[in-house]
Amino acid sequence: MAKRTSYFPELKRNWWLKHPYFKKYMAREATVLPLVFFLLCLLAGLYSLLQGAESWQGWLTFMQSPLVIAVNALAFIASLFHAWTFFQLFPRVMPLRAGGRTLPPNLMVLGQWFGVVVVMVLAAWIFMRGL
Amino acid sequence: MNKGTSLNNDASENMRRSDEPIWWGLFSAGGVCFAVFVPAAILFIALLIPAGIVGPDALRFERAHSMVFSLPGLIFIGMVICLPLFHAAHRIRHGLHDLKLGTEHLNKVATYGGAALLSVLALVGFAIGIL
Repeated sequence: MAKRTSYFPELKRNWWLKHPYFKKYMAREATVLPLVFFLLCLLAGLYSLLQGAESWQGWLTFMQSPLVIAVNALAFIASLFHAWTFFQLFPRVMPLRAGGRTLPPNLMVLGQWFGVVVVMVLAAWIFMRGL
Repeated sequence: MNKGTSLNNDASENMRRSDEPIWWGLFSAGGVCFAVFVPAAILFIALLIPAGIVGPDALRFERAHSMVFSLPGLIFIGMVICLPLFHAAHRIRHGLHDLKLGTEHLNKVATYGGAALLSVLALVGFAIGIL
């Protein structure tokens, strides 16, 4: 076997800092970090709910601490950024056809944002009913 | 001798069924949940209620208990905790690869294993609560 002589440039660890497009890509990858924090908060809440009213009150107080609110605010922004990138994929992966014509991608993106708003209205109803 | 065919035979003998479609499917499903359901969950549970904008009674113990340990509660755990966990695991796995950290196998076991472990923890917590 001939020795491979083609040139393979070595990829450095900071390759993604060199172009805005790659930075955006890595920012999207990083959206899951504050998400994981929020999910761990929910798991802690589930188990404090199992341990009784006092423990649950402790979790509610934990959720009120400024640092926790700050990280969760970041998670909220990250989830919207993720949604913005994710919704653009749907028309490309699965173009919908209606009446022999492909639906405009913008309309599909808008439809998905409408879904987010509907879920928020539903959440408002769930959390605020009877208050 | 037909070189192309023999190469193909070699390839098919060595080919094992890939598990990637499973992880890809969980990543996509989790991505939809992260985009559509998680923003509302963060907004109410981690921002509006802790900040006191939505009434403090919204998550009082009895109310939270009956909300979580019910069929809608199980759907909530699946769509807002378990699936987003696998979405996060996939992105962390590929993020580690992009930063040239760890090894393929170790990262895969750690990320998907972590998501599976936390999902089981959530489902066990739910099961304890309804029993």
